Amino acid sequence: MAAYRADEDYDYLYKVVLIGDSGVGKSNLLSRFTRNEFSLESKSTIGVEFATRSIRVEDKIVKAQIWDTAGQERYRAITSAYYRGAVGALLVYDVTRHVTFENVERWLKELRGHTDSNIVIMLVGNKADLRHLCAVSTEDAKAFAERENTFFMETSALESMNVENAFTEVLTQIYHVVSRKALDIGGDPAALPKGQTINVGGKDDVSAVKKVGCCNA
Amino acid sequence: MSGILFHKYGGEDLDSYYPIRPECQADVPKVRFKARAGKTLSARRWHAAFSEDGHLDIAKVLRRIQRGGIHPSIKGLVWEFLLGCYDPNSTFEERNQIRQQRRQQYAAWKTECQNIVPIIGSGKFITAAIVTDDGQSLQDSNRDSLDQGWHVDGAISDKKVLQWMLGLHQIGLDVVRTDRSLVFYESETNQAKLWDVLAIYSWVDNDIGYVQGMNDICSPMIVLLENEADAFWCFEHTMRRLRENFRTNTGMIGVQSQLSTLSQIIRTIDPKLHQHLEDLDGGEYLFAFRMLMVLFRREFSFVDALYLWEVRRNLFFTYLSFSENLVLLC
Repeated sequence: MAAYRADEDYDYLYKVVLIGDSGVGKSNLLSRFTRNEFSLESKSTIGVEFATRSIRVEDKIVKAQIWDTAGQERYRAITSAYYRGAVGALLVYDVTRHVTFENVERWLKELRGHTDSNIVIMLVGNKADLRHLCAVSTEDAKAFAERENTFFMETSALESMNVENAFTEVLTQIYHVVSRKALDIGGDPAALPKGQTINVGGKDDVSAVKKVGCCNA
Repeated sequence: MSGILFHKYGGEDLDSYYPIRPECQADVPKVRFKARAGKTLSARRWHAAFSEDGHLDIAKVLRRIQRGGIHPSIKGLVWEFLLGCYDPNSTFEERNQIRQQRRQQYAAWKTECQNIVPIIGSGKFITAAIVTDDGQSLQDSNRDSLDQGWHVDGAISDKKVLQWMLGLHQIGLDVVRTDRSLVFYESETNQAKLWDVLAIYSWVDNDIGYVQGMNDICSPMIVLLENEADAFWCFEHTMRRLRENFRTNTGMIGVQSQLSTLSQIIRTIDPKLHQHLEDLDGGEYLFAFRMLMVLFRREFSFVDALYLWEVRRNLFFTYLSFSENLVLLC
C-alpha cells in the first residue's frame, strides 16, 4: 500500500476505481501506473488496496487515489464503500478470456448504480500482449464502448503498453468534466480552493461532479 | 532426527526449510525470525514434553513458543495442537484413532466431490468456469476439458452442488497466485493439493463456501503437513475461529465488524490518528481489511507470518483481543 502523503503538492484529488473479474490484471495495471512495476507472481487482492500517483494535466497537478479490489463476486458486499465518491473507473477485462468481457455489462450496471452519472469510465482490454490467445476482438469491445458511451483502450501491464495512456486519459477527462461544470456555474476551476474540490470518501460523500453543481447534468 | 538438527542450531538459516525461488528473492519481505537456541521450541524439547503414554505438557510448550516460536522441523506437529486438532491430555493411542477417523472422513468427502467433479484429487485443477450461473455445463465450449479428466453430465439443478461448482475456478485462479515465490508451489502437485483442500472445504462448509483470502490461510497448512487430510483438518480448525470473517451479507463482509472494533479502539486511545484515518477513507478502516482477513500474511515474509501466528495462537485470543493486539503491533 502506498503511503499517503498529506503534504504532497497537488491541485486536485480524484478517486478512481478499478473493477473487473478476478485475474484480469487490475492490480498489475495499478502497480504499473503508480510504481512502474509488474509481477508475474502477483497475488490476489484481498478486500481493498490503494495507491496514488500525481500527474500533470494541462497546468494543474492532479493526484489520483486509485482503489483496487478483489474480483470475486462475494466481495461485492463492500461495494458501497468502494464506489463512494469515485469520479473515474477503469473497467478491466482480459482479452484472452471471453467470459471476463461478457461480465463487463454486469460490472457497468453495478458501477452506474453506485456512482454519479458523470463518472468517467474507460473499458480496458488488458493482456493485449498475448495476441495469439486473443478471444475478444477489438471491434467488439470498441462497439460495446461506443454503445455504452465509455472510453476504450487495449493495454498490456506486462509490456507497459497504453497503461499510462489509459489512466492519463481518464484523469484528463475527469479534469475536463470538473472544469466544464465549474465554468457552467460561472467559476474558474483554477480558482476553486485547493483540497476542497472533491472529498474522496469523506462523510460528505460528494463527487467532484456533484460538488460543483449538477444542474446541467 | 533431533540430534542431527541440533548440532547446527542457533543462527540457523531457516530459508532452507521454505526455500524461495531465486528469481523472486528481491520481491519478498526480508525474514526477521531466527531460531534461537534456548528460546525457540526445538524438536528435542518438544519430544521431551510428552509423558510415556503421550500426555503433552502444553503449558511448558506454550511458554517456550511465546519466547521464540517453533523450530521449522516440528512446526506441523506442534500446530496440530495449537489449532486444537488434538487434546494435549489425550494419549498417543487416542490421537492415532482420531487421526485415522479424520483421514477416513476426509477421504469420504473427497469421494463425494470426485463423483461430481472428477478432476478433484487428480493432481490437476481448473481455473476456468465449468458451469454457467444457471447450471449448464460448459464442457462443450472447451474440448480440452475432456482430456483434462473432468466432465459434468447434464444441467446441475441441485442448488448446493451448483453453488459449490461455481466457486471451483475461483479457487484455481487464486491457487496459481498463492505464495508463488516458494519453491514448494512450483510443483503442480502441491498446487493441486491446495486446490483440493479448499475445494473440499467449500463443499463441507457450504454456508461460507470459498472466499478469496482463504487460500492465504490454507497455504501454510499445505506446506507444513505432508498428509493432505491432516492439512485439511488443520485448516478446518483454523476456519472454526476465522470463518465469520469470511461470511458475506448484503453490504457487509464479516471481517468488517472487526474493523469497526479496531476503529473504536483507535478512537479511544488516539483520537487524532482516528481523525486522520477518517479523513482518508471515511473511517471505514478498509486499509486494515487485508491485515485482519489473512492475519498479516501479506505484511510479512512466509516465515515471519507463521511466527506471528504461533505467538498469536499462544495467547488463545478472541476477536476483540486480536484488535487489541493489532493496536500493540501498530
